[in-house]
Amino acid sequence: MPTSSAYRILDTDINAAHERDRARSMAAADLIALIDASGLRGRGGAGFPLARKLAAARTAAAGGSAYVVANAYDADPGSPLSRALLLKKPEFVIEGLAIAAAAVGATSAYLYLRPDAESAKRAVEKALDAARPGLGDLEVEIALGPGGFMGGEESALLAVLESRRAMARQRPPYPAQQGLLLRPTVVSSAETLAALPLIVRDGADAFRRVGTETSPGTKLVSVTGAAASPGVYEVAFGTTLGEILERAGGAVGGTFKGLHVGGPTGGILNATRTGVALDYEALKAAGTHLGSAQIRVLGPNVCVVHEAAELFDYLAKETCGLCVPCRVGTKRVEGILEGIYSDLGRAEDLPWLGELADHLERFSLCGFGITSASILKTTMGEFAEDYRAHIVDRACATGTCAPVRARRYETMAQP
Amino acid sequence: MSLIKDYGPSESQIPTVSHHGEIPSGQPVCQITIDGKQVTAVVGESILRAAQRAGFNVPTLCDDEKLAPAAACRMCLVDIDGFERPQPSCHLAVEPGMQVTATSDGLFGMRKQNLEYILSDHNAYCMPPCQVGCPTHIDIPGYLELMTKGQHVEAARLVKEVLPFPYALGLVCPAPCQEVCRRGLVEEEIAIRQCHGYGGELSLEMEVAPTPFPQEVATGKRVAVIGAGPAGLTAAYYTALKGHAVTVFDMMEKQGGMLRYGIPEYRLPKVKLDKELNSVWQLRDAEFKGGMKLGRDFTIDDLFAQGYDAIFLGIGAWTSNELRIPGEDLPGVIEAINYLRQNASGDPVPVGQGNKVVVLGGGFTTFDCARTSRRLGADVTVVYRRGRKEMGAHYTEVDDAEHEGIKLEFFAAPVRIIEKNGRAGGVEFQRMALGEPDASGRRRPVPVEGSEFTIECDTIIPAIGQSPVLDWMETTPGIKKTRRETIVANGALMSDRPGVFAGGDAQMGPVTVIQCVAQGKLAAKAIDRYLAGDDMARIAEEIREEERVPELIDIVPYKPEEPQVRMPFLPFADRVKSFELIEKGYDKAGAEKEAARCLQCVCPDVGRCDLQRLSLEHGLTDNRFHRAEPVDYHDYEYDFSHDFILRDLNKCINCTQCVRICRDVIGANCYGLMGGGYDSIVTTPWNVSLSYTDCVSCGACAETCPTGALMLRERDLQTYELDVVRCIYCGDCVEVCPHGALGETPNFELSTYQRFGVTVLAKEELASARTWKPSEHIPLADESTRELIRPPEIRPPGPPRWNA
Repeated sequence: MPTSSAYRILDTDINAAHERDRARSMAAADLIALIDASGLRGRGGAGFPLARKLAAARTAAAGGSAYVVANAYDADPGSPLSRALLLKKPEFVIEGLAIAAAAVGATSAYLYLRPDAESAKRAVEKALDAARPGLGDLEVEIALGPGGFMGGEESALLAVLESRRAMARQRPPYPAQQGLLLRPTVVSSAETLAALPLIVRDGADAFRRVGTETSPGTKLVSVTGAAASPGVYEVAFGTTLGEILERAGGAVGGTFKGLHVGGPTGGILNATRTGVALDYEALKAAGTHLGSAQIRVLGPNVCVVHEAAELFDYLAKETCGLCVPCRVGTKRVEGILEGIYSDLGRAEDLPWLGELADHLERFSLCGFGITSASILKTTMGEFAEDYRAHIVDRACATGTCAPVRARRYETMAQP
Repeated sequence: MSLIKDYGPSESQIPTVSHHGEIPSGQPVCQITIDGKQVTAVVGESILRAAQRAGFNVPTLCDDEKLAPAAACRMCLVDIDGFERPQPSCHLAVEPGMQVTATSDGLFGMRKQNLEYILSDHNAYCMPPCQVGCPTHIDIPGYLELMTKGQHVEAARLVKEVLPFPYALGLVCPAPCQEVCRRGLVEEEIAIRQCHGYGGELSLEMEVAPTPFPQEVATGKRVAVIGAGPAGLTAAYYTALKGHAVTVFDMMEKQGGMLRYGIPEYRLPKVKLDKELNSVWQLRDAEFKGGMKLGRDFTIDDLFAQGYDAIFLGIGAWTSNELRIPGEDLPGVIEAINYLRQNASGDPVPVGQGNKVVVLGGGFTTFDCARTSRRLGADVTVVYRRGRKEMGAHYTEVDDAEHEGIKLEFFAAPVRIIEKNGRAGGVEFQRMALGEPDASGRRRPVPVEGSEFTIECDTIIPAIGQSPVLDWMETTPGIKKTRRETIVANGALMSDRPGVFAGGDAQMGPVTVIQCVAQGKLAAKAIDRYLAGDDMARIAEEIREEERVPELIDIVPYKPEEPQVRMPFLPFADRVKSFELIEKGYDKAGAEKEAARCLQCVCPDVGRCDLQRLSLEHGLTDNRFHRAEPVDYHDYEYDFSHDFILRDLNKCINCTQCVRICRDVIGANCYGLMGGGYDSIVTTPWNVSLSYTDCVSCGACAETCPTGALMLRERDLQTYELDVVRCIYCGDCVEVCPHGALGETPNFELSTYQRFGVTVLAKEELASARTWKPSEHIPLADESTRELIRPPEIRPPGPPRWNA
């Protein structure tokens, strides 16, 4: 029986090709049942159980064609998890892809990369050449996304594979029901698929030994910002944010203001929240989400209003531009936040932002807009002082903000 | 690496059944519940379609039943039991037993937020506010454009469609249009009033005044109009244009009502006024009977007995309101209206050189009295109980009065009139301060204790409002009056007695000239419909709908500044003791220059625009995202280079309907989303002119566009000419036409009808057209027999096959 440390994908050595063959020899229903028993959830951020996705795709395919896509896109530039994985264990991803293909009966699979992931692409090409003889009739192709944040969103990814602009698509129907070329498609992050060879080798119980009851296994995380040794780490689910920060050498200078968890659309938790566990449910309860599993350490001299404005500035540039709440909403929220940190804020801006956050969350088309509301909700809740200082004292709490706007949004009553 | 090179319909998941009419028989149906109502839906169709068929007004901006759903506009989101978040009803197929909430306060608010977002980057004009602000709704951008082109009489004609007296109103109108003019946001408003004044003045020179439309044929109906003021004459004008015979009665000898007897000569010269008002009598069957007073010389019943089919009461408001303070009856206290009338008729007036006059009030009449007295040589003080801003008179009146040497006293209310030698010798006032706003929105003045003061004077003119004279009502059954001493009339301006209409000051209380004209116009419409036997409740509803003030939604694009062209004025020094007209009027160049300043801030899509409609339905009046930095808004160039389709990206809302219709229905695939993030916009590849794309000019994109972003160029196609010498009968034109407008005739490909329905070549002509033999000489188009040229009916042989 392997020890829990052996379950860290990055330093486990197994013959993944052998596990793929074992998986192929199993009945698909049994394979899906095994994955179900392991409790493997999507590492892409939403945490949807992979087994349910596979089962849905298998049912929808009804023996016809289906596709499997490994999303190794790393949408969040600050969280190069798939690249780290592909550089170290490309065969895990390829064979995981093959196992998922076996589960749904797909004969075409795609490995979807960022256009600038050159070294990861070379590594995976090499591994693919090596694995190809064993893959049989499964065709695995490497596809490059367009770059940018939106290219990693699962429905935008499908559009890219169809040679179209990376635009989100309304769900339901989910890709597992209607995906690539309207056929059932399993889109799963490379990291999720990489766990499959391990599950096949050791069984569900062994996989569940690490992590929590609801989120078994380990997770790659990217620690960035004001951490002593930023980088990609693999931790078990359930590890607290404080422990992860410790592994990254703690915060530079010992103190920090907050932790930005989940990538560009993630919320910012204040420094007292180090006890929050890295776990889908726990993070959601804390007001943010696992997202790209980036944990960015904000140093003590960071104004959170400015930080939130920067995030929305990024989002307003990256939104696919299809749905109104996300395309216009992110820009308008950015404008209001910039107004606040340019000391043009008014007391009524805060309830207004709350209103717009609700709108983003309820009316956006895809996870991009829906989750971006967490930036507003967490920062206004946990860093109310930063907002207050700008609005009431007309001064930055940390003295770091320089005004960027001379004019704020005004209400124009119609003549 | 190979991406899938297949442009499959990867968005279409939902079968489409038209939302019009009944479900075709044989379709499998299921039951769903929308807002608690059982709805029969076709299995697999979208919730939106089922809801539309069942009569629910689910808003949407990106749905077209020909197209796959996009779920882009986020307007049609509905709450569905079992779903955590609202779902786009255009994109989700019905399932049996689905419980849908399509209308709720929460959804309404969220949809409204969507619209606010869309409009916050809708860098375009909607309705011109001047046209909305004007009670008569003159097409102001329209006539200003005509004036810019030098077509002044045409401009006057356009104004006369709703306002028969552009010259008079050009001088005396308080110009509510100018207060809301969008040019004011750039630097200064357009001198709208003076501009139509110029056009009106120019048409006074014509022997017969221009009419907006030709007078209709006589209907044989007779209408009596009582009161020859602005309301009455307007009603008479439009009633006569409709073909009815009109008789206008007035108690005064001459026409004009308050325009003549209330407004002094220096604001409106009576000679020219007469000239303009005479345009009414130039119409067939329109006559004026002066010196006839209602109640004294005739009654309403008399008129009906004389065979009039309808009566319009525009009797004005001719009594001045009382001050209700002690000393009001003393000699030296003059009635304002009477005083102005005496002055206008040339009768002796009780004010002259050396008099000390106090005028009480802050409206137009106040200043007419004050400035008249000043011109008669008196020393004048105007006293008003509120401040300068609260005055009812136009600010130019107030400023001019001050410059003419009239003293202004604010925040003072008269307490009593002091007696001196049996005459009025002064007024005691009490200081006022502004309190809470009253019903009219103006802050109510409240007295300040112990602040009494006195102004010595010998003449006092209270001008604090007027009321209609309604003593004739006692002998007239069926017509009622309100508590404010005005005539009761419904939405169609009809009083409680059928066939008797009322408007103007007599119905609304004292208002501005332009409001009276507007009522005259509406009354004429109502009378015309009444005489045609229409249901008056429906007419009232129609008028209410037409007069509803639409909200205007826009942000103002950048314009280079250019100040107003100044109207020449009579110098202040020349105004003492002179009743000469103050406003000298524009000359041609001035008028044209001023008219050219108009921003033409009107969208041709107004009324057809879904965005406007939904915004009105959602009560979106204010937008909270205005006036920030330029980076917050887009300012795109127009693309008017295409022959048929006009593109204005500023009005694009990224609904992607044109993208989908051009790609999936037409197949040309001219549009797509370009740019990234907030700068995403639907346009052609690399934003080139539409002419350089594969556009087939079918117009489907403009047809489906929910806003004015894509519009068909207005054009009147004549016939296509076929150059028979150059045509190679390839048939490409027939093939390419997506609407099948170029038909294939039995013998050859040739257009029979072009797309706007005008016959290119009538079918009969085709049948009898000459057949050209290959060897025959085909006359060229420019030869004298041009009309006779018909294309041959038989496809000519191809080039000779040399090897055959």
